[in-house]
Amino acid sequence: MDHMPENWGRPRNDVYGEYQSAIHNAGQGPQSRTQTPSITGTSVIAMKFDNGVMLAADNLGSYGSLARFTDQERLIKVGNETVVGISGDASDQQYIELLLERLLIEDNYPQDGHHLRAPHIYEYLSRVMYNRRSKIDPLWNAILVAGKNDDGSPFLGYVDLLGVTYSSPSIATGYGAYLAIPLMRKIVSEEADAKNVSEEQARKVIDECMKVLFYRDARSLDKYTVATVTLDGEVKMDKNVRCQNMNWRFAEGIRGYGTQKQ
Amino acid sequence: MYAEHFSEPATSHVASAPIEHQFYPYASNGGTILAIAGADYALLAGDTRHITGYSINTRFRPSIHTLENLGGPERAIVVAANGFSADGDALVRRLAQRAEWYTYNHNKPLSVSACARLVQTMLYGKRTFPYYVHTIVAGLDESGRGEVYSFDPVGSYEREQCRAGGSAASLLMPFLDNQVNKKNQYDAATGLPQVATDLPLEETLKLVKDAFSSVTERHIHVGDYLEIKIVTKEGVKVEYFPLKRD
Amino acid sequence: MTSIGTGYDLSNSVFSPDGRNFQVEYASKAVEADGTAIGIRCADGVVFAVEKIVSSKLLVPGANKKIQTIDRHVGVAYSGLTPDGRHLVDRGRSESYSWRGTYKVPISVPTLADRLSGYVQAYTCYSSVRPFGVSVIVGGVDDSGPHLYTIEPSGAFWGYMGAATGKGRQAAKSELEKLDLPNISARDAVKAAAKIIYVAHDDSKDKDFELEISWVSTSETGGLHQFVPKELLEEAERLAKADDDDEDDDDEMDED
Repeated sequence: MDHMPENWGRPRNDVYGEYQSAIHNAGQGPQSRTQTPSITGTSVIAMKFDNGVMLAADNLGSYGSLARFTDQERLIKVGNETVVGISGDASDQQYIELLLERLLIEDNYPQDGHHLRAPHIYEYLSRVMYNRRSKIDPLWNAILVAGKNDDGSPFLGYVDLLGVTYSSPSIATGYGAYLAIPLMRKIVSEEADAKNVSEEQARKVIDECMKVLFYRDARSLDKYTVATVTLDGEVKMDKNVRCQNMNWRFAEGIRGYGTQKQ
Repeated sequence: MYAEHFSEPATSHVASAPIEHQFYPYASNGGTILAIAGADYALLAGDTRHITGYSINTRFRPSIHTLENLGGPERAIVVAANGFSADGDALVRRLAQRAEWYTYNHNKPLSVSACARLVQTMLYGKRTFPYYVHTIVAGLDESGRGEVYSFDPVGSYEREQCRAGGSAASLLMPFLDNQVNKKNQYDAATGLPQVATDLPLEETLKLVKDAFSSVTERHIHVGDYLEIKIVTKEGVKVEYFPLKRD
Repeated sequence: MTSIGTGYDLSNSVFSPDGRNFQVEYASKAVEADGTAIGIRCADGVVFAVEKIVSSKLLVPGANKKIQTIDRHVGVAYSGLTPDGRHLVDRGRSESYSWRGTYKVPISVPTLADRLSGYVQAYTCYSSVRPFGVSVIVGGVDDSGPHLYTIEPSGAFWGYMGAATGKGRQAAKSELEKLDLPNISARDAVKAAAKIIYVAHDDSKDKDFELEISWVSTSETGGLHQFVPKELLEEAERLAKADDDDEDDDDEMDED
């Protein structure tokens, strides 16, 4: 009688050979990392104006070329006066949201009235992004942080999966860097230009950029969120905004693919 | 959209083999730096343009860092690490920290030569995963003479009279060889090769501005603004000079 | 403490023949020696108040808080050894942190109280450690409404509508019983809490104390644990003092 229960009910060793316990004892296998993004969000665009910073990002979560989720929120309010806009991998975005949530909770422990401002959150995210790329385990995102400096002036910064950082009065990630930046730089090219641009003017340009992006970026959506950080301390989140006055008549003339016969 | 971060094998032997994607942890962010040492000054200059591919990320990203030091303003050290800007930032940040600790631990100013050796240690410490940067450190030695040290990405370094680094280094360097080190210049009367002498600061500034203006014409990664930091016994002076923005 | 000196109180986790763990009982003594802490469960939240004994005039006012935040929606107040309380708060924070990492949502207050009490209980089971010298009042608001618990040094945790620990707990408890719990509003509970701390305070033993009051309320703080605004604290303290003086006057009249 074999008293070892783990040997019961097994194919006979003399017939089928030794049980390959290595298979059973194998660990989780090689460590896997994000080598490629899966659900992705496209461009985030942002520009400064005389009384703050305005950002926009559409609500699409793409799975390759499939428009998989159409209600993704990619502009995240962090505290009362900062907005973080995230493009790239959605799961890494959610992880970043968790990190920021924890950062804020820890910041709240002392109850001393101190609040993290945009530059602090930007610095934190920059360290996270660079450290992860240095482990060759990047968070596959390009991030914009918008808010206020300690002196009350507007803040806008960029950091991506490589840990590359820069600031500019108008910034965009992804295709926005090609399609939106030229439009935004028409009115805000230099830091000083922002002082001559009103919130209404900025909004007009942001809406125009989102429309152009929807026309030309195949991974974009005509539904987006506009976040406005004003120097008075208010963050406005304008959600479910739709591209207006589009004209797709030109599409009728396009031949060679699609459903037309001629 | 994120294609630039992948590297793929150029050809695949088997058509059905999976395509291997690998994360490439580096980028090139353009810009050029230039340092020249004189008898009583050292100067480190760089343009403020920051790029990815053909895109200008920002027109104004100053990249010459000043390490405050014990022993008064003339002991300040200026440093720039050009190439992959995330690595450059990380290196300069760590160096600033280490330089500060040095002054706490030894209660004396960090000399430029010691700083240079420290930079070598830090760069070589990441020999297997290098900081993708060309580093230049400049300042004054104990006698008040300008010093310039330049480094390759893994820490090999040398003290020089002048050095250009970054995107347009290959355009600037022959010009500096000729104008600063008097290479290929001969005395008209004797026909003997000219000897390199210390240039006065005024002349050097003109040289630097001309060099950057010219290089801006020929290199798309250079432009917008020129930042010049000059270390003299009075301390560190900063100057900005507009470059073409196209 | 009839069994003091019989030898069963020298090691933690050892029962006496009549079934008591003396180390735990001694820990409760540490609690009884410290300032009063109370918690009130009100209509849409929880209010905490502590009588922080000021042992020296050299101490910085407002420092060494005895009310702390565990998560956005959870607060604690404690009586006993402050460092033990600090350590337990750290534990609560890491429980809450890991819960959020796993489930995304904030930890529920009963779960947190359960986990913290399990931690406290473990410190009654080993001879290498001593029990926590604190009674902790844990409270907050979650999806299922307001919750209030007290965790004792034994690891026992009880749900309360009104809880009190520390020196003045008996007086505080009888005052708490007079309140309309749990229907009282958060704002009224703050004022009641201030009064109770003043009633429970024994002038003859401790001269100075600092009043700390915090709250978690759906209507007042949006479900966040915060110290009450300065104006409200001052108002509550003023009312409490006036009330306290009246009673003193009454006492004096009775004596006449």
